[in-house]
Amino acid sequence: MAEQRAGVIHDLGYRHYDGPREGVATIARTLYVTGLRHAFGLGRSGKSKILPFLLLALCTLPAAIVVGVVTIVGLSELPLTYAGYTNQVQLLISLFAAAQAPVLFSRDLRHRSIVLYLARPLPAYVIALTRWASLATALLVFSVLPLLVLYTGGLLAGLDVGEQTTDLLKALALLLLVASMLAGITGFISSVSLRRGFAVVGSIVALVVVPGVVTAVQAITSEEDADQVGVVAGLASPWSLTNGLASAWEAGVTVFTPPAGGWVVVYLAVAVLVAAAGLAAIVARFLKVGSQ
Amino acid sequence: MINVTITKLAAQALLGRRRFWLLLAFPVLLVALTVTITALTDGDAAWPLLPGLGYPVVLPLVAVLAASSVLGPEVDDGSIVYLLSKPISRHAVALSKWVVAWAATMVAGALPLYVSALVAGGGDRASAAGLAAVVAGTTYSALFLAVSAITRHAVIVSLLFVLIWEGLLGNLLTGVAWLSVAQWGLRIGHEVSTELPDPTNVPWAALASLVVTVGGVWFCGDRLRSFSLRGED
Repeated sequence: MAEQRAGVIHDLGYRHYDGPREGVATIARTLYVTGLRHAFGLGRSGKSKILPFLLLALCTLPAAIVVGVVTIVGLSELPLTYAGYTNQVQLLISLFAAAQAPVLFSRDLRHRSIVLYLARPLPAYVIALTRWASLATALLVFSVLPLLVLYTGGLLAGLDVGEQTTDLLKALALLLLVASMLAGITGFISSVSLRRGFAVVGSIVALVVVPGVVTAVQAITSEEDADQVGVVAGLASPWSLTNGLASAWEAGVTVFTPPAGGWVVVYLAVAVLVAAAGLAAIVARFLKVGSQ
Repeated sequence: MINVTITKLAAQALLGRRRFWLLLAFPVLLVALTVTITALTDGDAAWPLLPGLGYPVVLPLVAVLAASSVLGPEVDDGSIVYLLSKPISRHAVALSKWVVAWAATMVAGALPLYVSALVAGGGDRASAAGLAAVVAGTTYSALFLAVSAITRHAVIVSLLFVLIWEGLLGNLLTGVAWLSVAQWGLRIGHEVSTELPDPTNVPWAALASLVVTVGGVWFCGDRLRSFSLRGED
């Protein structure tokens, strides 16, 4: 009994396990995969699957219809670009993020089952990072799937491969940013506000109301010939940042006050900063809860 | 019929700490934005904020927050069984809770909307917007209270109704107006000022609003009558 074994609290004197031990990396990977599955309700009750898959269906169905129209009518290009499609379904992506972030971030903290995770050799910050990665991946899967339907359908219908691929890559780069920002914002809100309902409303405020305000301000400033004010206002929400960048990269999205020149760099920097700040806030939150 | 103690408890739950700040944020945001834009521009520049943001987003969000705050937390942590074990009619419980949710929706939703409308333009259309907000706010609060009694995911279901059904689909398909709380409110407001759209007809709008309001509160009481506590899914 005198020998030292690290990191395990259960030692009742039974015969112990001598086999190979997989380290922190395996635990983190398992947690990541479980989190990703839980974000879509897989491995949870049947009722929890309804909402994510309903939203996924709503998000993907128009893409399938577009492909059908392109094929039957025989268009030579897609009626909207990939980034334009994401822009059209941004409400659904926001709702998915707001609805599923509490699943990954609130439940462990609310029921204090987080202490069971922390009793294992996985540090609090790795748990936070893993949760964030699960949500960001889930968001990426959610938003990329309809684009893949469009892309595959478009190529099968004989559209220009080079053009489509360039467009898709632009949209994918934007979606990487969107997924990181949204996962950071909704994850932080859900880990602070543990009541599911308030976490959802808080996320909706950040992802739907604030972008709505920004768009309204941009529309007014563009009308009043004060475009610079609108460009600055665009820094205030994740979606206005994304749409601003999409319009600057000519990805097929029009905004009232497109950023130009140095502003594009500022937009990109702020988007990366928002994602990083969200991630840092989540990590700080888990470290605080873990030390209680 | 209304139980004062339950009303008081519901009001406390609604005004407790962080919830209150979130509820307060909406009217402050809306009025501040309208005032700023009206101050910085000439003419009607701030008016589009109301049909674009205040009426279709802020008002229902306030109603969702209010309706789910008076019932949701108790269902969530199971303490509702203590309330339901008292010899009080479940319909009285529902009605008492709805009164609080309704009052909160009026104060934090309809009133600031009316104030913003006065700031942004005033005149008949401001009164019309105020009336529409009162009608829609009343209907929303009863509808969302009923949703809170049905499912644990009341907030997200209510938001789906507002944002997807009334917002996204309502913009694409005009027929949705017949089944849209916001459009009923607008139609009744249209009677005061013709600057508001007239999507359906008045008898339908008034009747539907009334039926959903009364039916929502009654249905909530009915669900509480046969309430069973379930674990988290």
